[in-house]
Amino acid sequence: MKNGLKVLRAERDWSQAELADRVGVSRQTINAIETEKYDPSLTLAFSLSSLFAMPLEAIFFPNGKRD
Amino acid sequence: MSKQSSRILSDDAVILALGLFWLLLYFAVRFFLEANPDLARGMRLGLAFLPTPLFALFLWRFIQGIRSADELERRIQLEGLAIAFPLGVLLLTTLGLVQRAVELNFQDWSYNHVWPFFIFFYIFGQAFARKRYL
Repeated sequence: MKNGLKVLRAERDWSQAELADRVGVSRQTINAIETEKYDPSLTLAFSLSSLFAMPLEAIFFPNGKRD
Repeated sequence: MSKQSSRILSDDAVILALGLFWLLLYFAVRFFLEANPDLARGMRLGLAFLPTPLFALFLWRFIQGIRSADELERRIQLEGLAIAFPLGVLLLTTLGLVQRAVELNFQDWSYNHVWPFFIFFYIFGQAFARKRYL
């Protein structure tokens, strides 16, 4: 699934490991989401949504593009 | 390295060590039984089950490791096992059919020879799943 995770992370100047620590997953998981190899669980998606203080649809784009 | 990554690696080291200890004990018992065919039956059976508690400990830690892993690692483990298990079933059923078709030499195709294939299937399944996600 396309997502804006990499951009949001870069805006905050966080490394993948730093973001991973903040949501309690491995760096590999963040990398796999950013490279669209893995779609996060609902729990992780909500954690990211809460961390970035943005709605899910502003982070993840299931239709393949930003609305 | 994130905290989650380092915790997984630490768990991996313990699980790997337990697996290697079990393997060493297995081969030690196997060679001892082969070298001492005159031991009493009860003693031989007792020795045959000697590695079992260590394997149970390994299995317990392995399951704990998977439970404590993050969601991507759990997905990889699941896909790896989903590949390895059917391959194991395929091996056993095919060997069963081959055994009915022709006479297999016990020295070449006994329980002693089949189980390492399951470890190979697990490693293959893991590699396949990791290639997809990492």
